[in-house]
Amino acid sequence: MRRLGLRHAVGCLWHHFFFRDSTLSPHQAIQGSTERPSQLEIESSKMTDPVDSVPTSSPANAPAQPAPATETPSQQTLPIRDAKSAKPKDPAQTDKPAKGKDASASAGAEADAAAGEKPLSPAELKKKAKAEKAARRVKEKLERDGGAGAAGGSAPAPGQPRPPATPRKDAAGGGAAQKGSKALPPRRGSVVGAGAAVEQKKKKEDKSVAVFGHLYGQQRRTTIAGAGKEVHPAVLALGLQLRDYVVCGSSARCVATMLAFKRVSLIICHIYYWKVETNPPDLLRLSNPTLHQWVPRSPRHMTTHLSHQITYLSTCRPLSISQGNAIRALKLAIAGIDPSTPEAAAKATLCDFIDSFIREKITVADQVIAASAAQKIQGGDVIVTFAGSSIVKQTLLLAHNEGKQFRVSIIDSRPLFEGKNLARALANAGLDVQYSLVHGISHAIKDATKVFLGAHAMTSNGRLYSRVGTALVAMSAKERAGGVEVPVIVCCETVKFTDRVALDSIVVNEIADAAELVSANPAQQVTGLPDPAAFTAPPKGGKPAAPIPDPATSDRTPSPSPLANWKETSHLQLLNLMYDVTPAEYVDMVVTEMGSLPPSAVPIVHRMSTNM
Amino acid sequence: MPSTATALTPGLSSFLKSLKTNPIDTSIENLVSLLKRRQIRHSRSCATATAYLLLRVISACRTSESVKLIERVQSVGRRLMAAQPREMVVGNIVRRVLGLIRDEAEDDRDAEFALSEAGSESQCQTPRAYDDPSLPLDRDMLGLRAEGSERSSRPPLTSMFSLLSHPEPENSLPSTPGTQSPIGRVPGHGLSKDVRAEVLEGINEIIDELGQVDDQISAYALEHIHSNEIILTHTSSTTVQKFLLKAAAKRKFTVIHAESFPNNHDSTHATVSGNSTGDDENLSFESFQKPLVALGITVILIPDSAVFALMSRVNKVILGTHSVLANGGLVAAAGTRVIARAAKVHQTPVVVVSGVYKLSPVYPFDFDSLIEYGDASKVLPFEDADLVEKIDVHNPIYDYVPAELVDLYITNLGGHAPSYLYRIVSDHYRKEDISF
Repeated sequence: MRRLGLRHAVGCLWHHFFFRDSTLSPHQAIQGSTERPSQLEIESSKMTDPVDSVPTSSPANAPAQPAPATETPSQQTLPIRDAKSAKPKDPAQTDKPAKGKDASASAGAEADAAAGEKPLSPAELKKKAKAEKAARRVKEKLERDGGAGAAGGSAPAPGQPRPPATPRKDAAGGGAAQKGSKALPPRRGSVVGAGAAVEQKKKKEDKSVAVFGHLYGQQRRTTIAGAGKEVHPAVLALGLQLRDYVVCGSSARCVATMLAFKRVSLIICHIYYWKVETNPPDLLRLSNPTLHQWVPRSPRHMTTHLSHQITYLSTCRPLSISQGNAIRALKLAIAGIDPSTPEAAAKATLCDFIDSFIREKITVADQVIAASAAQKIQGGDVIVTFAGSSIVKQTLLLAHNEGKQFRVSIIDSRPLFEGKNLARALANAGLDVQYSLVHGISHAIKDATKVFLGAHAMTSNGRLYSRVGTALVAMSAKERAGGVEVPVIVCCETVKFTDRVALDSIVVNEIADAAELVSANPAQQVTGLPDPAAFTAPPKGGKPAAPIPDPATSDRTPSPSPLANWKETSHLQLLNLMYDVTPAEYVDMVVTEMGSLPPSAVPIVHRMSTNM
Repeated sequence: MPSTATALTPGLSSFLKSLKTNPIDTSIENLVSLLKRRQIRHSRSCATATAYLLLRVISACRTSESVKLIERVQSVGRRLMAAQPREMVVGNIVRRVLGLIRDEAEDDRDAEFALSEAGSESQCQTPRAYDDPSLPLDRDMLGLRAEGSERSSRPPLTSMFSLLSHPEPENSLPSTPGTQSPIGRVPGHGLSKDVRAEVLEGINEIIDELGQVDDQISAYALEHIHSNEIILTHTSSTTVQKFLLKAAAKRKFTVIHAESFPNNHDSTHATVSGNSTGDDENLSFESFQKPLVALGITVILIPDSAVFALMSRVNKVILGTHSVLANGGLVAAAGTRVIARAAKVHQTPVVVVSGVYKLSPVYPFDFDSLIEYGDASKVLPFEDADLVEKIDVHNPIYDYVPAELVDLYITNLGGHAPSYLYRIVSDHYRKEDISF
């Protein structure tokens, strides 16, 4: 697609690397790729656009939106992590043990490690950045001393969203600031005000639900600090977006990952060939002697390098099945490149592979599925769907554009309220939309004629692994009073098929931050933030960003939730599951780009599609 | 769910206060408007208000002629039920009061008849008691026990044999709370007593029952909850909470609490965490109770959507209810049906705890008429005004749960299969009052 000149790419990279510019964010990458302008189910990408498009040449007043935005929730989740880090890490997920440790190390450890690395960066650029940073910190400290009292106890310290390279210097200079930043209010509206106090308490009691102990193993990354220097900025940004559900939904995550990796592979290729060609670009030579660590010595090393990125992503949020499948395919493609291939050709091959993967497996697949599933909708139908699936949205919009008259009943759930975006999109398109929450399932299903569900994955035993609550909808469709069953149709790309099997929703699942349940209000999705400008105003998301979300959230919650200090309440646990498993017998049909199948055909199709 | 917050806001407590001073008609109007405006919610609040109002109505009646009393209560009852047809407990209480009056009237007749024939009090056994005397829940038995507990001079009637050998009932059993359902009349003892006084006494017993029904139900808790059990519940029902608390005093178990967003999640959160926020009227006319977590019970709060995912680990589902219907089905907070269905799918027993006063003789021919829809802004806040205008937001408050999804009912009379409920209905309500 967009082939960047080498020099430009590298220059950009380092520019971003130091100034944490966000133009490398997957958002823009997604938007830049003409094939998938709007198919991601993330409305949010639009919301963050203004920030993404901030000129890169003025880093001082153009902090990366993703970084500060995501920094704030991380501050809030960090305490939880600390408390839970006593638990053993999930060995399955840390295929790079050293890296995993690095990822989940506490901020303090990072600071130490970072301090040790500091002398290694003598480059002018860094020095300049450091000087800037120091000046800023002094200023912020002054501001904080002046204004923290007004801001209340909950936001005593500045968020210090850092560029990937700066934590080192930052930590060396401002460990205190770093610690203080933990108390920042969270992003998604679920304010646990007394962050610091909570932190101590939690060490006393394990708040993880015993049955799900195995799922708490790896704590989610809270900041980009401590990420290995191998991790590409685009991937860093993506990781935080994944964690904050900015990029949410199986397909969207898959596409965003592939696009980020496309950038990564550009760099990989470049460095690889730089070594070979013995004529490094000036900028590279100047900028960083540690670069040699990046240099892979064979294509195999390229996949190793990729694993660093993958490990980082999985610490932000466990990888989706689709991401896993995409990564597997990408690794296969990288391994298939002949080392003697000229640089440009290798890059072109990889980029083409990624582009065609996205196109074939998701973009076109979605179109095929939507076209095929829309056939199933007839005039007068009442379609029930759960949460917000991008492919279901496409299907419904397509059927609507074909002139069919039908009603859509959306069932939504706490805490993500993904159905709201779907409802908005459908209502804007002129569909007749009815909206209720999980408690209204039995009412919504009463006059339903069809149920359309999206999927996170289809397991090999034909079960549907999807957003928690899906199983309730499918069950209600099959058990409707009066004995008339409602057909349940799952729309799922084959890239979401997996050879894993699941019997219940407990062995394989994902646990989200329980604090999301605390707020009675709909969780503040990043898309719905009051004013993204608040985050762009302070340079590098510094101190002034901290108090701003605070009044915003407190406006929404006039009275504190009774759960506000659930962490201090012993024996009280909150469980925020992400997925559940719907039994195969509730699913009548799986619409894929390879045709409409019964759920029992999932393993066969999966084998076919992976043995291509 | 504003019901009884303070005397300032209209609700149960302000209504009860005003009841003594206001004239009858004003009070009736008052309750009708409270019910219409949903300022009295919750089955028990409605039941209590109705019972007190009827107490007042009857005591103000200057007649002891049962026919006139029945007419009066019927007319008041019709107005109350028309005000809020979905609060079925209102009708239940009215029917029980009507039943009381009819019983008293019949007793008078019976007693006169008996006096003239044998002069004995054994005639207090209506033929119904002989139909199935082994059933301890028979209305007349209950009546006798209730009566016995007052006088503590009669033996329990536990078998046909005892009926025959002790024609004169005395009570030697300590009346267990569970067996007390003060529906019965005081049979033919006080011939001279007028019907009105007896009925007032009966209503007072109903009011007493309303006050202690949760404790009576919780007395059965240890029979149903074993150690290390995982129990799933829903909403912040005080009946369920007391039931669990009772068991928690002796046993350790785990409670998974679905938060019942958006209609009851605030009080659910308050219930699980023990932080009453001040607006949980749910607990207001209970003495403040400790949360389960204070007794060392692990409580896991989950969103409603996670019910299916967790159901495979749940041993028992314990549900509160809004009202119970004669066919064994129940009308409960929205979301109950999917929970019960999910439990059925996983072969998990579903236990419904409910006072007998919630048991309604209504047969649900039209399920939709039982369902009430609530404030849509709880589902989609008006901050999303652009969206609210374009789409149709539904917030059902109740669900109808068919009888086949329920395995066991626990009332203040004990545990019953859903198929048995019709019998309790016929014990508590007179046939002629079912549609008055």
